[in-house]
Amino acid sequence: MSWKIWSLKKSPWVFHVNTGACNNCDIEIVNLLTPKFDVERFGIKLVGSPRHADALLVTGVVTRQAAPRLQEVYRQTSKPCVVFAIGACACDKGIFTTGYHVVGPVDKIIREVDPNAIIAYVPGCPPKPEAMISGIVQALSVL
Amino acid sequence: MNQEELNNRLTEIKDKLTAVEQPADNRIWLTCEAENSYEINKFLFEEVPLRFVIATGIDSDDCFEVLYHYAYDETGCMITLKANIGDREKPAIESIAPFLPGAEWIEREIHDILGIDFKNHPDMRRLILSDDWPEGVYPLRKDAEKPVSRPDGEPLTRPTVQSQSPARRTVPLSKPVVVVGPFHPLQEEMEFFQLSVDGEIVTDIDMRISYNHRGIEKISESLQFDQVPFLVSRICGICSASHPLAYVQAVEELAGIKPPERALYVRTIITELERIHSHILWVGLAGHFIGYDTVFMWAWKYREPVLDLLEEITGNRNNYGNVKVGGCREDVPNDLIPKILKELDGIEKKMEMITKAVLDDPVLHARLKGVGVLSKADAVKYAVTGPTARASGVAIDVRRDDPYAAYADLDWNVISQPEGDVFAKAVVRLLETFESIKIVRQALEKLPDGPVAAEVKEIPPGEAVGHVEAPRGETFHYVRSDGGNRPVRHKVRAPSFVNVPSFKASCIGGHIADVTITLAAVDPCYSCTERLAVVDNNKVIHDYDTLLQLSREKTARIRKEML
Repeated sequence: MSWKIWSLKKSPWVFHVNTGACNNCDIEIVNLLTPKFDVERFGIKLVGSPRHADALLVTGVVTRQAAPRLQEVYRQTSKPCVVFAIGACACDKGIFTTGYHVVGPVDKIIREVDPNAIIAYVPGCPPKPEAMISGIVQALSVL
Repeated sequence: MNQEELNNRLTEIKDKLTAVEQPADNRIWLTCEAENSYEINKFLFEEVPLRFVIATGIDSDDCFEVLYHYAYDETGCMITLKANIGDREKPAIESIAPFLPGAEWIEREIHDILGIDFKNHPDMRRLILSDDWPEGVYPLRKDAEKPVSRPDGEPLTRPTVQSQSPARRTVPLSKPVVVVGPFHPLQEEMEFFQLSVDGEIVTDIDMRISYNHRGIEKISESLQFDQVPFLVSRICGICSASHPLAYVQAVEELAGIKPPERALYVRTIITELERIHSHILWVGLAGHFIGYDTVFMWAWKYREPVLDLLEEITGNRNNYGNVKVGGCREDVPNDLIPKILKELDGIEKKMEMITKAVLDDPVLHARLKGVGVLSKADAVKYAVTGPTARASGVAIDVRRDDPYAAYADLDWNVISQPEGDVFAKAVVRLLETFESIKIVRQALEKLPDGPVAAEVKEIPPGEAVGHVEAPRGETFHYVRSDGGNRPVRHKVRAPSFVNVPSFKASCIGGHIADVTITLAAVDPCYSCTERLAVVDNNKVIHDYDTLLQLSREKTARIRKEML
């Protein structure tokens, strides 16, 4: 294991990117920070800038307007950076597949700028906070 | 003015109309030619006066239609004015935005998706479609090919702050501009705000949406009537009970379906539980935005039992998928009622504590009173709804004005405050939580026995509207059917679509630090103050030390005012 990955796995700082979600996954992400789930006890912290982030929590289908902005946010993160596609929309566009303004899913848009990006998927509509914690733990344990 | 007087008022414009229909007492449909629409709209909005709800653009087979939806809240009457535009090549109609700023956004949207030109519109830039959307492609026209997604492999242009997009207003460089978004640490969603500032005072605000546009109205046309509720519950995760309910009520009105009594009560319980968790969520976030994280953590902790209840009833913490045409999918089991009542007692106690902590705190009074004021006149002009309107003294509430579900049988109050500032909005939301708890309790007590769904056979051709008081305001759905199994047009107006443009009235003239809480969902980051210097003609007039001095003086002044 490279030391970069090793250091990434301890206390990952995350940046939240909404690319056209319905707010459900987003409030569940905020829920993770509040007393009931409290992921800060694992050292997981929501940060205000992609430049500080070890992981991106991406929610939503990636609309046409959001796609280039998502790529720009990914460019600005320090690498290696794990991308979490959270929710059915981010994983495979979900119920919005046929939408005319939808260019996602997340992995396709991220792979355009970095074909070797590390992408983890947490399905669900919305995934329960427990599922998100489980997804993050599983992803970090296979890195 | 009662319903009869309203009908008489409307006869004054009879000779300009081509048809008048009144399928129910409080549903009126007017039809006119495009040339007369400006005058009639002016009459409806200014003379009667009605509250503007939204406009819908429709591509019918031989013409374009623009439907202007109005509400008369005293009798809960919905009035729709249909204007037919015969010219398919160059469809155009007079804009109503000059006298009705609340219509500015919707006319821009209709122009984007249908290509109808609004003459004399003050600001016809792109609103809902992306910067790189091809010119002349209108996705909601019936003959629109399905391009429209980006071809594979085509490189995306890298966005810059000063984008060349026609949708963004360019500001001369001499004017300082603060941009917020599209991604911002405290923003849940993507929006883009461009604030022009003069010192600390905001002089103009410009907004760009489209980041979240998924084309739901078009997808809805490809789904069957029974599938649409699952789609519309995903418009917004926090209003995921209200949107399907508004849609379902429109379809039920269209087909003349009466859901069983118990279903109406179950709907009431679910939507009120949703309102409780949504209002608590807002209080928490508002606390977070002004740096009061204790309230944030408390509120979100005490919100959890509500989500657990919803999960127990419907199977999901959010996106309940519980409403269907003709009734509900899941019942509230009778043996769960004692548990719900017990949890409500607990929530009520905790909310009393939070309410006291917020309303009795002198710091919050100093921080929130008189900030971001939306006057009653502006509230009417921008046609805002929900707590935003009620905090400005406009006491409208669909639950009381046009009762649906079981609200007419229950005893509760509409909360309103005259001030229009951020503090009033907090008061309205906090007190409404208690009203909601009261409603759920009564609904559980009176819950009648019986089935929760009626049989639905066919949806006949026709059109209807449905509206519901969501936590953020009135959610409005318009559905048109041609007798098939899919809607031919489904228009959705979420409450924020009219509430957000009112920032123009509430932010301008305020301090830039107050924009934070005025936008409520947006928190510009000013932690970089130590790198800030105010420069005029290349000469530094305020450096860090003088700014710190100014800030200390202001704190001392506020402290004096508080005592």
